[in-house]
Amino acid sequence: MIKPLTLDRLSLLDVRNLASVELEPAPHINVIAGNNGQGKTSVLEAIYALATSRSFRTTTTRELVRHSTPMARIRGRLAEHWPTGKLNRDQGIDLSARGKRELVLDSEPPVSLTHYATRSPVVVFEPKQLALTTGPAAERRTLLDRVTLFTHPEVGVHRARYAMALKERLILLADRHRDRSAELSAYETLLAEHGAQLTSIRALAVAALLEPLKEAFHRIAAPNLNLDVRYVPGGSADAGEMLARLAHDRRADQQRKRTGYGPHRDDLELTLDGHEARVVASQGQHRALTLALKIAEHRAIASARGVQPILLLDDVSSELDADRTAALFDHLATTESQIFLTTTRRDWILVSGATRDRADFIVEGGIVTPA
Amino acid sequence: MLPPKVQELVQLFARLPSVGEKTAQRFVLFLLTREPDTARVLGSALLDITGTILPCVRCGNLAEVDAARASAPVCGICRDSRRDPGVLCVVARVQDLMSIERSRAFRGTYFVLGRLLSPLEGIGADQLPIEELKLRVRGGEDSPVVKEVLVATPPSVDGEATALFLAQELKPLGVRVTRLASGVPHGGDIEFADPVTIGRAIAGRRGLD
Repeated sequence: MIKPLTLDRLSLLDVRNLASVELEPAPHINVIAGNNGQGKTSVLEAIYALATSRSFRTTTTRELVRHSTPMARIRGRLAEHWPTGKLNRDQGIDLSARGKRELVLDSEPPVSLTHYATRSPVVVFEPKQLALTTGPAAERRTLLDRVTLFTHPEVGVHRARYAMALKERLILLADRHRDRSAELSAYETLLAEHGAQLTSIRALAVAALLEPLKEAFHRIAAPNLNLDVRYVPGGSADAGEMLARLAHDRRADQQRKRTGYGPHRDDLELTLDGHEARVVASQGQHRALTLALKIAEHRAIASARGVQPILLLDDVSSELDADRTAALFDHLATTESQIFLTTTRRDWILVSGATRDRADFIVEGGIVTPA
Repeated sequence: MLPPKVQELVQLFARLPSVGEKTAQRFVLFLLTREPDTARVLGSALLDITGTILPCVRCGNLAEVDAARASAPVCGICRDSRRDPGVLCVVARVQDLMSIERSRAFRGTYFVLGRLLSPLEGIGADQLPIEELKLRVRGGEDSPVVKEVLVATPPSVDGEATALFLAQELKPLGVRVTRLASGVPHGGDIEFADPVTIGRAIAGRRGLD
């Protein structure tokens, strides 16, 4: 059973241009309206940081601290809605201007970052993510990793150890003066062990995304178009095979100064009627595909974690045409997820549903007020 | 302000691992005002160990130099005839040796590597005391042949790589090479152990017979 998750209270202090914000969001739809540059996206970013301890806009979280203040503070009350009752959780994050992060989960520091980040799943959709289907494979690997974080939380350990061994192997390869083959095979054994784990976990994530992705794409785009998704591993789920290939590729890798084989080269191949989507898809189809990928991510995380992730939609209607906006809102109306969406035109957001389930907010010059 | 001599002493204490400026200041003020006797005894004890405590020539553990006989320093473990010289435990640092000793589960002898492989930090195989280790494994006039090498390097990426590297180097000598098992900590809960540790604990399970 998948329980709805809601953010019932949010309080912000010195986050970007938001000096002080107190919000009581509605359980279903929350519309955050305002002109450009007023702080709409910063509200979404704060919710994302509250849930995951990170930002979707930057890797340096100290950027979130309001200019000439020492610290940004984000606090929230989240609730899981079980059939037999509501379970509340208070959590928060302090970000210092010097780059320190401090987390609290029910007034204690969390056991681990992974533990904190998997408590309250969120899925964010922003214009930049149109690169998911057109851009480099790194974007698609990140999508897979967001899903694996919930399906197989141990993936983080394998990924970190794999990345470290990858760096060490390249340094050994760069040494052309001495024979480093014994050391190379030691690090390659580790690459093979963690790489094979990473590959098999990602393959499972792709399998979890497949059905919801096809279903969502059919609904949003033309139903007669056949979408297929295939995981293209850069390595192998067989550690023995990986080990042999890494040893074999030493000279080639030494020449090109990078490792040509392994899960850091994974990709997700998307095809429309058998042709690579990156090449044949129209602008509109790319948008539909990206949207379908996000809906699939949302569904896959929901079934892995058992709660409906909170959806953060940043300025989507500016990027989607009327038909696809309508398709998106149709999907939103059917989910039990809590949704936060930003827009410059509040009157464009037409979502059916009881008015008590919807709240509208206006953001102007860093001040957020109920509409 | 503190007198310059006291400030210098604070700076010296602050060089110690995990001691910051404030803690160093507390140490110095404590010794000066509360326990001047401890200060005197500590001072002469520090003087006493310089030059008389050196790495053991056989294993790298700390050993006392026998000033009277002017022989090479050999540690208490290597000199202990009750220890089994046929089993050799390879550790990265003296601290790790101490931890294993505290367990009282190991009755063999040791070899301290002093460092782990780390290409990122410029530490390669040629900076590990491999030849000394091989010499030790092969045995000689005053040391018997080693039958088993237990590699007890940490489970970090560099620790694992070093273990794999040592196994490659030592196996041709016909010695059995084993690795420290990894598993759920005693007094810990399976519930709270991380999945990677549990995975390894299951892979390395043993019979209850």
